Amino acid sequence: MEIALRPYQVSDVEDFMEWCDDEVVRLSRLRHFTSREDAVSYLKETVIPHPWYRAICLDNRPIGFISITPGSGDERCRGRITYALGSKYWGQGITTVAVKKVISTVFEEFPSMQRLETIVDVDNKRSQRVLEKSGFLKEGVLRKYVIFKGNIYDVIMYSLLSTLT
Amino acid sequence: KPIKITLRPFKLCDVDDFMGWAGDNLVTQYCRWDTYTSRDDALDFLNQVIGSHPWYRAICVSDRPIGSIYVMPGIGKDQRRGEIGYAISAKYWGRGISTEAVKMATSCVFKELKCLERVEGLVFAENEASQRVLEKAGFLREGLLRKYFFVKGMSRDIVVYSM
Repeated sequence: MEIALRPYQVSDVEDFMEWCDDEVVRLSRLRHFTSREDAVSYLKETVIPHPWYRAICLDNRPIGFISITPGSGDERCRGRITYALGSKYWGQGITTVAVKKVISTVFEEFPSMQRLETIVDVDNKRSQRVLEKSGFLKEGVLRKYVIFKGNIYDVIMYSLLSTLT
Repeated sequence: KPIKITLRPFKLCDVDDFMGWAGDNLVTQYCRWDTYTSRDDALDFLNQVIGSHPWYRAICVSDRPIGSIYVMPGIGKDQRRGEIGYAISAKYWGRGISTEAVKMATSCVFKELKCLERVEGLVFAENEASQRVLEKAGFLREGLLRKYFFVKGMSRDIVVYSM
């Protein structure tokens, strides 16, 4: 099972639409793409210009994404990691492999980043396990922290600190 | 003996009182903003606050400002989450004033800013006095966020509280 990370291209649109299924849409900030044009616009406007956004590829085909968003101003010492994987690939440790690949180089790629963080819905146990297996520390539960599709949620804050001085 | 405080919007003529805490390094050491060194900068700031801040109040003793308190909602989908901040003149420390101001602010702000579901305080880990203020005001300590902000040349650990 060969997992690799690479930037997305517009030509990945069909694979992108395929892994972005109902289960993924339910749990993530992604939405259903109503058409190929809709997905192409998303790739062109959001994915490709993003500071750091990669396809999680299995045998060279995109089956998910992982991204790093660096902070700025008084948040410049931190970055946010987000990811999603097509639901038929869940439960095989693929996301954990992708997260570990990213954390092995992210602090060199973003030298002012000292903290990599993410927030996870309190009920999303799979995602919490990915982070715990990757070495993130659970820092606490932030109540009524995010609004998502009209509802307010409690989330858990996880972080990983750079070991580079 | 508790001192009676009131909260009111700022006026430009409050600038000299404002410098009394905002110009004091002792007060600003655990703030994410820099000490005000010029009356003009303070006037620009008050002007901006008076014109456009969603909720910013002077903490007054006998109607004279001795500190400030604000709740700043986030932008867009974060507008249900507001951050509370406060500072008072060092000579009024240790008398429960910040705690009283925080209690007054939180009871007002959920009514005045209809969108608000969560008010949070982000306190430097070394600032135990401010942590006690939020605890006495009924906030829940949620956790320690390590190296959360980069302020005045250093990354800072922050304790997060919410109401």
